Amino acid sequence: MDVLKINGKEKEFTAGQFPATLAELLEQLGVEAATVVAEVDGDIVERENFARTRLAPGGSIELVRFVPGG
Amino acid sequence: MERLVIAGREFRSRLLVGTGKFASSDIMAAALDKSGAEIVTVALRRVDIENENDDMLAAIDRSKYLLLPNTSGARDAGEAVRLAKLARAATGINWLKLEVTPDPYYLLPDPVETLKAAEILVKDGFVVLPYINADPVLSKRLEDVGAATVMPLGSPIGSNRGLKTRESIEIIIEQAGVPVVVDAGLGLPSHAAEAMETGADAVLINTAIATAAEPVRMAEAFKLAVEAGRTAFEAGAAAEAKRASASSPLTGFLRDD
Repeated sequence: MDVLKINGKEKEFTAGQFPATLAELLEQLGVEAATVVAEVDGDIVERENFARTRLAPGGSIELVRFVPGG
Repeated sequence: MERLVIAGREFRSRLLVGTGKFASSDIMAAALDKSGAEIVTVALRRVDIENENDDMLAAIDRSKYLLLPNTSGARDAGEAVRLAKLARAATGINWLKLEVTPDPYYLLPDPVETLKAAEILVKDGFVVLPYINADPVLSKRLEDVGAATVMPLGSPIGSNRGLKTRESIEIIIEQAGVPVVVDAGLGLPSHAAEAMETGADAVLINTAIATAAEPVRMAEAFKLAVEAGRTAFEAGAAAEAKRASASSPLTGFLRDD
């Protein structure tokens, strides 16, 4: 089973389900790409590069978004 | 009312508004509109991948407001810098409300980490608006490293206690070469007016508007108070005296003596 660490939690993917790119991961998670910022293994990924950012098992992903705040 | 200028950009409004704690996005949008604010703060948090997330930015008209992302939640300079870079990647905006608040009870800002982060971020091209305790020496140090404003607190965040730090803020205003934005703790329009009368360049309000019984009307009340306070400052206060000084003529009374 391949694993990605997403926002600090490990998520397992069954064979064939592992997302090839960041864009695919967001689609699987049902998260709209236009509203998030991402870090892959500590590096910020610009939104226009989501589709060409390849993911590898064991990688660490942070997905953040704007929320109300003062 | 003179225009507010921060980092070379002009603003008509001297009221900055935070977007936290509103009961709904609709109320927030209506309150922002009534406040007349042109700068609004937002925070960055992890996406909840188990549940559906609201896109709060959809409720903010980006052509009307400059988004000012904050680094709330950062406990040290490293965390603040990371949040700042994520915020810039998300918006393309390099304006930032820098806040480093390791203390969970009073949310008081860490001056050492704030100064450290400000220096790094200014060098990296950010327009940095640091949230600080009302410390005149720290204010000058931040100005020296290139902060665009200083944002001293009136009292702890969300406490609605008013301008408890007034004397220190007066010194900051006297010495500052950058705009002074009083941030945090102002609970009533009269507190905001007091800060503006003292010579603050702007105030930032969130809790006092968002948690009022009628946030939209309270937003309007703060707008009027900020305008009144600023106009009074520009007009120059009349002198104070211990004894009375009659406002009406002291001659021509209807008596013979």
